[in-house]
Amino acid sequence: MASTTAETGSLKLVSVLDLNEASVLHGQLTNMRGKDLSIDASGVERVGVQCVQVLMAAANAWEEDKKKFVFDKVSDAFGKSMQLIGINIDHLLAKEIQQ
Amino acid sequence: MDMNEIKEIFFQECEEQLAELESGLLKLNDGDRDPETVNAVFRAVHSIKGGAGAFGLDDLVSFAHVFETTLDCVRSNKLEPTQDVLKVMLKSADVLADLVAASRDGGSVEEGRTRGLVKELEALARGELPSGGAAAETPKAAPAKAAPKAAPAPAAPPVAAAPPPTDDSGFQPIPFTFDGFGEEEQTIEPSTFEVIFKPRRELYAKGNEAALLLRDLSRVGTMSINCDTDQLPPFDKMDPEEAYFTWKIQVKTDKGEQDIRTVFEFAEWDCDLDVKVAESSEEELPMVPVPFDLSVLDDGSDASGEDQDASDESAANDAAAAVAAAETASNVSKMAAAAARADKKESQAAAAAAAAANAANAANASAGQTIRVDLDRVDRLINLVGELVINQAMLSQSVIENDTTGTSSINMGLEELQQLTREIQDSVMAIRAQPVKPVFQRMSRIVREVADMVGKSIRLVTEGENTEVDKTVIDKLAEPLTHMIRNAVDHGIESPEKREAAGKNPEGTVRLTAKHRSGRIVIELVDDGAGINREKVRQKAIDNDLIPADANLSDEEIDNLIFMPGFSTADKISDISGRGVGMDVVKRSIQALGGRISISSRPGQGSTFTMSLPLTLAVLDGMVVTVAGQTLVVPLTAIVETLQPEASSIHSFGANQRLISIRNSFCPLVDVGRILNFRSMQANPVEGVALLVESEGGGQRALMVDAIQGQRQVVIKSLEANYTHVPGIAAATILGDGRVALILDVDAVVSASRGQSLRQEGGMKSDMSLAATG
Amino acid sequence: MKKKILTVDDSRTIRNMLLVTLNNAGYETIQAEDGVEGLEVLEECNPDVIVTDINMPRLDGFGFIEGVRRNDRYRAVPILVLTTESDAEKKNRARQAGATGWIVKPFDPAKLIDAIERVTA
Repeated sequence: MASTTAETGSLKLVSVLDLNEASVLHGQLTNMRGKDLSIDASGVERVGVQCVQVLMAAANAWEEDKKKFVFDKVSDAFGKSMQLIGINIDHLLAKEIQQ
Repeated sequence: MDMNEIKEIFFQECEEQLAELESGLLKLNDGDRDPETVNAVFRAVHSIKGGAGAFGLDDLVSFAHVFETTLDCVRSNKLEPTQDVLKVMLKSADVLADLVAASRDGGSVEEGRTRGLVKELEALARGELPSGGAAAETPKAAPAKAAPKAAPAPAAPPVAAAPPPTDDSGFQPIPFTFDGFGEEEQTIEPSTFEVIFKPRRELYAKGNEAALLLRDLSRVGTMSINCDTDQLPPFDKMDPEEAYFTWKIQVKTDKGEQDIRTVFEFAEWDCDLDVKVAESSEEELPMVPVPFDLSVLDDGSDASGEDQDASDESAANDAAAAVAAAETASNVSKMAAAAARADKKESQAAAAAAAAANAANAANASAGQTIRVDLDRVDRLINLVGELVINQAMLSQSVIENDTTGTSSINMGLEELQQLTREIQDSVMAIRAQPVKPVFQRMSRIVREVADMVGKSIRLVTEGENTEVDKTVIDKLAEPLTHMIRNAVDHGIESPEKREAAGKNPEGTVRLTAKHRSGRIVIELVDDGAGINREKVRQKAIDNDLIPADANLSDEEIDNLIFMPGFSTADKISDISGRGVGMDVVKRSIQALGGRISISSRPGQGSTFTMSLPLTLAVLDGMVVTVAGQTLVVPLTAIVETLQPEASSIHSFGANQRLISIRNSFCPLVDVGRILNFRSMQANPVEGVALLVESEGGGQRALMVDAIQGQRQVVIKSLEANYTHVPGIAAATILGDGRVALILDVDAVVSASRGQSLRQEGGMKSDMSLAATG
Repeated sequence: MKKKILTVDDSRTIRNMLLVTLNNAGYETIQAEDGVEGLEVLEECNPDVIVTDINMPRLDGFGFIEGVRRNDRYRAVPILVLTTESDAEKKNRARQAGATGWIVKPFDPAKLIDAIERVTA
């Protein structure tokens, strides 16, 4: 662990982030705690609120850990879902894709 | 498939449901208290109602609804299914059947009947016990007016007037429609609604999704949203499936509050929802406007990014392989899976399904258990197979005639061909084989109606309803059976008073059974009535000039007099069993089917009618015999044994009668050639062969023929269809050598011989005599 | 990609109506005749939405819904219940069993499609 702290973890989100996926996602993120993390949401077609909750709680945790938590690719569906749900992720987007 | 085809399916299904309904009610009537029986009954009515609703058959829906409501009381143990209750229900089942028929054929059902029963059913549902059926018979003028109003109301609109046993669960069913509700109160001025939406865990657990609800809400108007994430716990303390977010939403819309609530219709019990008109525009929360165009959420395939392979892969985890397989080979695997499922089910579709249990059938299993085939096509196939059988026989014949060694490979091939032909024939016949159940079930209604009419209490017990027989036989069975049932109820069973006086159960029993016996179907109709009044029958026969006053008849012969043409024991021909036909007509229609009918009766204990019918009208196993140079076929089922008479066993009796002694008993010898007028002189029995035959009720006779050619299966060709009815001859066939052979009507021949002997002894007249036939 | 709908109904009439309606609306339809068969088919067809009747032999709609919700893989699939009238008691029981929503009969194709669209993305 100690030797890999500098490493940046990456996580590609699956296409359907439904109820079943919430626990899976939580587990994946738990394993990556303590690393800088870049998330690839380019393949997401559907995202449910419970997965959003997990992602937002993780974002808070990473912030507390003073680690990077960045969405570096976001699909249109993911972006619009966030907008619909009323969650602003602008501050979590990688610089390159921020509007 | 179009709506008309589905409608046709609906009516077919109705028939099945009605049968299910009736048999269930009868089981309940017999004391069956299995909850599944009640459920099945309820389901049947429910299902008819469901389909009828889809086709807008309002009369049917209304009545089914009332019926269903009452059945629901039984189902929930609020109503005890006593005999009186079931009587109303059975009548209701009859009316339901009539309503179905009326919907299908465009007729109508007498309104008074429906009305009366609706009242009775509603009374039962209210917990009022039946008044002994009086209400149905005499629908009083005044209340009857009110009934039809009340009846259609509950069912027609889906939401209105919920039936009594509902709505206690502390929430209000919201009368909704997907489109129109707001239209009346639509405000031209757009207003702003404030919605507070806090889902609970259960909302997600039940497959609802807050994101989708918000999507739908955004379609109602212009939406601004604020998501309150304050309840979100630290990452490592959170439950990923818990609901933490709460939304405050403003919707500016020209639609009403109802349209907003409708969005949450499926979810409202699993969330806190507050909808109100926003009081002022001052708003302290930062609201994010949501763009109206969220079409991207409607369809995953529009999403940018990966193609659908990726979605398959990720969505279904380890199921991916299975899913992919199912998709790529979707048809094949579906068929196989359907077949596997169909196999697992208790197979009630016996021979027919088994014979046709191939991929085509199984593939259909998920859509319906059967395939429907035009009967004409099956008949055509049967005819062709018949020709094939004849052709194969002819081919065999000519090979045998030309093949001196008899061991050639052609011969062996022919044997296999014969085997195959036989199997094909059996399979094709199996397609037409159907259980007698539908006919039997029709009978229970007849018993009910006739018993009601004559004021008797009668129970019909059926057994062996699943016995299968060719469809043509079934179709032709209904009429004679109906007549016999009417007869049994009207004449056979005594009035309750008489029965009680005789120390019997005031409720009579009629038992209808079917079974297979040596390649035939045997149907028995047993009543526990008074039995044949032999004195009366005898007197009637004398009065009607059917037998001379001094005729000396055995009990059995007297019983069988009722089958004589023009015979009727009822003093007055009643409306019920009379109808201008007698048991002779029954006998003739049974015989026309290649069947036999007999009666046995025990005074005071009842009568038994036994019918034996061929399983099919298309083929028959026969013994080919020679009589006076003619080739005849004798149905194998009639033959008990064959024997070579010795001179010592032949005894003359009277002028023309001869008996043959077989194992210490005497049996009349009947010269077939003489009976059929093939020859004028009796043949010498010792030179021929005797076929010991048994006919229904007629005892044994030895039919004398000149020689036996062999046994074979023959394809029956109706003489009546192609020529005309010939007494003593049942039908014709074509043999392997191309010759036409007549198929002997054994019963007719036996009856004719008995007629002769009766005439000689007593002068009884019989139309069965063949003496005049040429 | 076509969405897959699993329908569970013992009435041949309704099954055919569902089939025609759903196919016309561009869905792929898989059909089962009762709850038991529905649970069997579930494993092979991985549906996006399930439409089920309540009154069925062998395993009724309530039991079927509970069975789906107990299935780890398919517990999140939206389930719509066909009810004949807006029978509050029945709806309530269906919800308790885990139904997502319902469609009130008499069968109306527009209502069916609308309800399916409401519970699917």
